Amino acid sequence: MRRARHLAAAALWLSARAALAAPRAEEGIGLPRDVSLDGHRIDWLIHFTIVSTTLVFVAVVAWMAYAMVRHGAGHPAAHDRGESRRSALAVLVPTLSIFLVVDGNLFGHAVVDLNRHFWNYDGAEADPAAVRIEVNAQQWAWGARYPGPDGKFATDDDVVTLNDVRIPVGAPVILQLTSTDVIHSFYLPNFRVKQDAVPGSVTRLLFQAKETGEFEIGCAQHCGPNHYKMRGVLTVTTPQAYQAWLADAAADARRAHDPDDREANWGWAWRTF
Amino acid sequence: MRPLPAAGPAPARVIPHPEASHAVTAHLGMVIFLASWAMLFAGLFFAYGLVRSRAAAWPPLDQPALPLALPGANVAVAALGSAALLLAARPLRRGDPRAAARSLAAAALLGAIFLALQARVWTSLWAQGLRPDGGPYASVFYTLTAFHAVHVLVGLGALVVLAWRAWRGSRGSGRPVPARLWTMYWHFVAAVWFLMYLTVYVL
Amino acid sequence: MSVPAHALVADELQPIHPAPTSFLRRYLFSEDHKVIARQFLWAGLIFLLLGGSLAMLIRWQWAYPGRPVPVVGRLLLGGSGGVIGPATYQDLFTMHGLIMIFFAITPVLIGAFGNFIIPLQIGARDMAFPKLNMLSFWTFALSQLLMILSFFAPLGPAGAGWTTYPPLSTNVGTPGAGQTLVVAAIFVTGAATIMGSINYVTTVIRLRAPGMTWLRLPLAVWGMWLTAILNVLFVPVLGSAALLLLLDRSFGTQFFIAGAASVRGGGDPVLFQHLFWIFGHPEVYILILPAWGIVGDLVSFFARKPAYWYRGSVLAMVAVTVLSAVVYGHHMFLTGMSPLLGQGFMLLTLIISVPGMVLVFNWLYTLWRGSIRFEVPMLFTLGTIFVFGVGGLTGLFLGDISLDIYLHDTMFVVGHFHFTMAAASFLGLMAGIYFWFPKMFGKQLDQRLGRVHFWVSVVGITLVFGGQLLAGYAGQQRRLYDPFEYTFISHLRGLNRWTSYLAFALFVGQMVFVWNFLASALGKGRAADRNPWQVGTLEWTDAASPPAHHNYDHIPSVLRGPHEFADPAVRQALGRDWIGQAEELPDPVASATGRA
Repeated sequence: MRRARHLAAAALWLSARAALAAPRAEEGIGLPRDVSLDGHRIDWLIHFTIVSTTLVFVAVVAWMAYAMVRHGAGHPAAHDRGESRRSALAVLVPTLSIFLVVDGNLFGHAVVDLNRHFWNYDGAEADPAAVRIEVNAQQWAWGARYPGPDGKFATDDDVVTLNDVRIPVGAPVILQLTSTDVIHSFYLPNFRVKQDAVPGSVTRLLFQAKETGEFEIGCAQHCGPNHYKMRGVLTVTTPQAYQAWLADAAADARRAHDPDDREANWGWAWRTF
Repeated sequence: MRPLPAAGPAPARVIPHPEASHAVTAHLGMVIFLASWAMLFAGLFFAYGLVRSRAAAWPPLDQPALPLALPGANVAVAALGSAALLLAARPLRRGDPRAAARSLAAAALLGAIFLALQARVWTSLWAQGLRPDGGPYASVFYTLTAFHAVHVLVGLGALVVLAWRAWRGSRGSGRPVPARLWTMYWHFVAAVWFLMYLTVYVL
Repeated sequence: MSVPAHALVADELQPIHPAPTSFLRRYLFSEDHKVIARQFLWAGLIFLLLGGSLAMLIRWQWAYPGRPVPVVGRLLLGGSGGVIGPATYQDLFTMHGLIMIFFAITPVLIGAFGNFIIPLQIGARDMAFPKLNMLSFWTFALSQLLMILSFFAPLGPAGAGWTTYPPLSTNVGTPGAGQTLVVAAIFVTGAATIMGSINYVTTVIRLRAPGMTWLRLPLAVWGMWLTAILNVLFVPVLGSAALLLLLDRSFGTQFFIAGAASVRGGGDPVLFQHLFWIFGHPEVYILILPAWGIVGDLVSFFARKPAYWYRGSVLAMVAVTVLSAVVYGHHMFLTGMSPLLGQGFMLLTLIISVPGMVLVFNWLYTLWRGSIRFEVPMLFTLGTIFVFGVGGLTGLFLGDISLDIYLHDTMFVVGHFHFTMAAASFLGLMAGIYFWFPKMFGKQLDQRLGRVHFWVSVVGITLVFGGQLLAGYAGQQRRLYDPFEYTFISHLRGLNRWTSYLAFALFVGQMVFVWNFLASALGKGRAADRNPWQVGTLEWTDAASPPAHHNYDHIPSVLRGPHEFADPAVRQALGRDWIGQAEELPDPVASATGRA
């Protein structure tokens, strides 16, 4: 078991080093580059909300500033308790207007985006092109498992990688995540998604790439001293390159499979929810 | 003169007796405390519910089932304790601390019996191999019952002191308020036990 | 002036006890709410300084990852040559969060102000249960001691984050005694909070002076009272979580352990998150409601105008109190929660912005057409409204599930809760300190230093936490030892560094306050008048500065609400723009003919 840990650590170190230079750096202060099918939905909603809340904030502060300048010590205070019905309306009308526009927009878009896209697992599972991957998080690396040629998880021909997730462009990718030790969170900034990996249960994540390239996988949930090093690389390739890689890796996997290595055989039969 | 809006003399009040007023305040404080503590137990019951809903088998196949008879008897013991404390209220009001002391002592004795029976349950399960570190089933059982038993123990200590003071007729023995507050506490502990019996043991 | 009969009854119900004479009973184990308030104030401010110092170390790490800390590095971290290691770093942000929330903001905002103003503002001689009050402080002091001790534990203090999520916070992730001590400290401080809160709730219900109806209470008392209710109901839930975690750590139970370390299937790590956030979301409002109350009063006091739609403010605070209990799920959107449940929590979370906006608009309308005096407490009040605006609006992003999928656990969250808890609560707390200091200590704080402190604080806070929001918007995760391990945020080095410089300036600026506070509280200082701000609440009109041991020689009979300003009738009769809550308005006809 200790040997396995060392091996895992070495693999982590090597793959991290190899991957370090690969993903492109971002520029300016803003959202990371979006390479996903649905990320623009989140970007639009963030930007709409930034603009609308900024307008509200600026209006409120301007009003406050005007009052501070014009209604200072030299100004006689009005004797107004604001207890009339009109006073209440003067508060409630702007409050409810802001609520309907800002909050209503947030809620409406979120419900539609979640049910049709980010959480539309039924739709993705029905897609014959869908790619299924199991992810097992541990301190401090991401293990990924592909079903291999037999299409079943937790069998001899499973392809297992460490900190190295590969997907084809243009196909929905469904992850099922868990963790061996503590809670981690699988985070793809360029895809605008993340999902907790919780020991003892399986959670899901759905995304789709629209560009090839190498992108970072981060851990978003504090998981111990080396949380900051729990970094993986997501490689998006063409479907042909993906199939070729998977076939190679499956052949290797069958040779390397050791049924007694319990720590390496963490897979599970694909879960239906 | 134009009267100030929202102003005016204080509304008329029924003039209370200072001691009665203090008693009301103390009771209110106790009610708030028990409401607060009920939330703590609610947290524990919530934990039990969630852990159990995730378990494959309850009890697990290799672990003993919980007994029903002794804990069930304890429901009656706790209820009898509550009844004894209700009996103590009247002589305290009458100013007969000796009579009250007998009821208080009876309640304390029932508390001790409760703990003895519960200890018997623990030792027999321990002998059957159920240990606190034996998984969620054992965790729930030992934690909930032990945490409740700590409350019984605190109540028992208080009842012994109250009974002793009432018997000796020492300082404060004439005041019915402390006994009434501890009676409320005991009702609470007994009620929690009834709930615990239903959920942890019977279900 | 004769004393009305109902006031005599009130005097009789709360007899005057002579002040204790021994040092121990007077200053240490005092049952006097004003002494206990000062004890909480000192204990909280010292930990505020400690928590702030930890923040400086975190900011140093983000500006210069892995470089030795200058000046204090070798002293604090001799073993590593002054470098903050990853394990030390996780201890730093964990202890920073816990200390600030439970051992700094809570004791000052709730322990000190709650204790000080509740009995004084409702016209009582003390709390309903003075002994319990004393016990509350000393229990709290014990929890602070446990926190201090944890720093000396062999593997260091707690390192699982302030949220203490298991399994990281169990022996699986943090096996040291420090983590155990800290979890115990949370349990103990919870007990102290419950004792205090039982007192607050009971005191406001039972000991209001005659005529002090619910709708004549100062908004600060409303804020404190609602906070106390939330504390009474939800701190015990945190207690249950801490208790189970302690058992998991010390007795091998399996409530929160799952995965490789579990026995017979184990428990559920997410269970802890439920319990924690059932408490934790009300806690956010626990820390802001007192500040809202203080702001509501002070805006009126210094705009010299009645608080606009007082009932609306009260209703809004009550609504927030109720809603705060049913929104906690928005902290757990990414734990695999059922979609329907998640959307329900999202809706409730968005709805809670309505009462929040009602409060802000009420404050703005109070300022409007006022006669605003820019005294130091008012500056801090206006600053609180400003930063609360940012904190509240950024909360909308996080309450929305689809945005939370991206922003969750990023620096955006950190920026958001600092704008509410560290900015709004902190500035509100400072407004309270500058406002009540004369009553608490009988001396005035230096107003010029106060202005300097205000500008440094409000500008610094906005820029520092604004920098965090920007970093989070760019995707930077929170709690990273070295954020620049990631390529996609490696270009944020400059942003992080500048945020750190500003944070250092903010911290240094707080020394102005430390000096001002110490010089005025311990030094000679200018003696304060009875009512320096010319306002009408009972503590200013009917009690000396500082008040006598028993607060009021006669318990005042309250005649009106707390915000009586700019009333033409009062100006005609008394020649000033305010009138005390218990002050009788002389009949103008009678006084004109000299028959009074």
